[in-house]
Amino acid sequence: MSLLALHNINKTFGPLKALTDLSFEVGHSEVVGLLGDNGAGKSTTVNMLSGIHRPSSGYISVDGKKQDFANRRDSAEAGIETIYQNTALVDCLSISRNIFLGRELTTRFGFLDLKQMRDIAMQVLESAVHISGIDSPDKLVGDLSGGQKQAVAIARAVFFKRRVLLLDEPTSALSVRETEALLHQVLKLKAEGVSSVLVTHNLYHAYQVCDRFVIMSHGTKVFDVAKADTTIEELTQHVVLT
Amino acid sequence: MTAMTHDRAVLPRPTLANRLHSLLDMPAGAILLVFVVVQLGCIAAGLLFPDDFRYLSSANMGIMMRSVPVLGCLALGAGVLMIAGEFDLSIGSVYTFTAIIMAMLVGMGVDAFLAAPVGLMIGAAIGLLNGALTLRFNLPSFIVTLGGLLFWRGAVLLINGAVQVRFDPNPVFNELFSGTLFGINAAFIWFIVLCLVFWAMLHRHKFGNHVFATGGNRQAATAIGVNTNRIKLLAFAIAGFMAAFAGILATTRVGSVQPGQGAGLELQAIAACVIGGLSLRGGRGSILGVFLGVMLIFTITDVLLLMRAPGFYLDMFIATLIVVASIFNHGLDRRGASL
Repeated sequence: MSLLALHNINKTFGPLKALTDLSFEVGHSEVVGLLGDNGAGKSTTVNMLSGIHRPSSGYISVDGKKQDFANRRDSAEAGIETIYQNTALVDCLSISRNIFLGRELTTRFGFLDLKQMRDIAMQVLESAVHISGIDSPDKLVGDLSGGQKQAVAIARAVFFKRRVLLLDEPTSALSVRETEALLHQVLKLKAEGVSSVLVTHNLYHAYQVCDRFVIMSHGTKVFDVAKADTTIEELTQHVVLT
Repeated sequence: MTAMTHDRAVLPRPTLANRLHSLLDMPAGAILLVFVVVQLGCIAAGLLFPDDFRYLSSANMGIMMRSVPVLGCLALGAGVLMIAGEFDLSIGSVYTFTAIIMAMLVGMGVDAFLAAPVGLMIGAAIGLLNGALTLRFNLPSFIVTLGGLLFWRGAVLLINGAVQVRFDPNPVFNELFSGTLFGINAAFIWFIVLCLVFWAMLHRHKFGNHVFATGGNRQAATAIGVNTNRIKLLAFAIAGFMAAFAGILATTRVGSVQPGQGAGLELQAIAACVIGGLSLRGGRGSILGVFLGVMLIFTITDVLLLMRAPGFYLDMFIATLIVVASIFNHGLDRRGASL
């Protein structure tokens, strides 16, 4: 049974039809590349999976169980974490406060357990996500580079035991080296049983790490193929010509 | 591993320059430095010229302690709201309006211990209304609360007219808000206690984390599951509540309410916050900064008064302080809520 699945999803915004009969699946420990040109409906799909939009018809399932995500929290509870282009981090807060934002560890009466938050943040940053230059969980996120910020976002996902990461154009703001580190991280998480959906229009990055590709065009799926059965040329053809 | 994380603190030799640097790195470090220097200067001058510069006289200390808390409480509320990314220009009018209501209730024979909470609730409710209008119609809070400033100022005249209202509460109430404890003014003790409460709330409580996140990056905070509308509403309510509390302190101290007394206080409160290092764009600042901002305004006012400088110097001095402080803070705009 697939981990995450979309079943015949339609989404309209007033007169605009954003998604038409979209279905695809994400398996356990699988990295899926969600590809397509601008306006293909990738972002709408991501927003739906992270609980920001609701499908007009059709449904999402996790472990075969039908889900109804009313907000982002529902989606997170089902084990889905979205990592955005401009990662959802607050620059003026420290790394540990960012990791626990909205899910703070507290003592009685809601006071923050700062020590435990720092310790865990440091542990996660050291063990789960290797990224150079972060030596203290008290650093302000605003002082980090793009890649380090994404590392923090991923560390957050890892700590809260998410099962699917949705990476929305994660490499667009990264240096070459940071991109390599991020893609490596995706593979490492896969080995630990965390699936990923890599939303990108950089086919080369996708081809490096994905097990399967879903290509979208005009709000629907036009191609769905395992890596073994295709080439980068064929993928390019489908993205460009459909 | 633990050694690694603490290296940073151990490595640089604690020279004076290093210490100064790490002090300036703190969110309210620069203002703290200025404050200490000004205080030391004043104390030195007070010791050297005890007859000409009566800074250390108990009369002067008493005046300071009585005048600080009103603006201080307004600034605490305004500060939390500013960190959450919104303004409230109506707090000066709300301060007068709630004080008038409270004084009128007491005049009608209602016990002050009942009238004061009514005033506080009205303050919080007006704050909530400001917040609801701002958020529901997606307006700048500057505009909504500018409306509030004029509306509640008018409302004071509507319900009361332009005459002053006497406030004559029971002695216990009087003692609680304007008496003295160990020689320290009760209002000043209230202010210090509220500073500590706000510090705990903003820097050590979950709520504060959400306030900083809401003001710092609302989209991100929403995406992560923080209910930013709720946080902003609460911050508006706190600003209104604190305005009403400042009204209680001022009214008890003076024993009457003047219908025009709150005019301009909202700007002074925002000025104190800016001097204390709060960003007008939200997300940055600290309660220590607000406290020092208020104290610095009053210290400078006090010094000018002691030197018998004409009143207009006061405004000019504070104006300069605001602009210099914001130029400085702009340079340090990366500092955040790590305190």
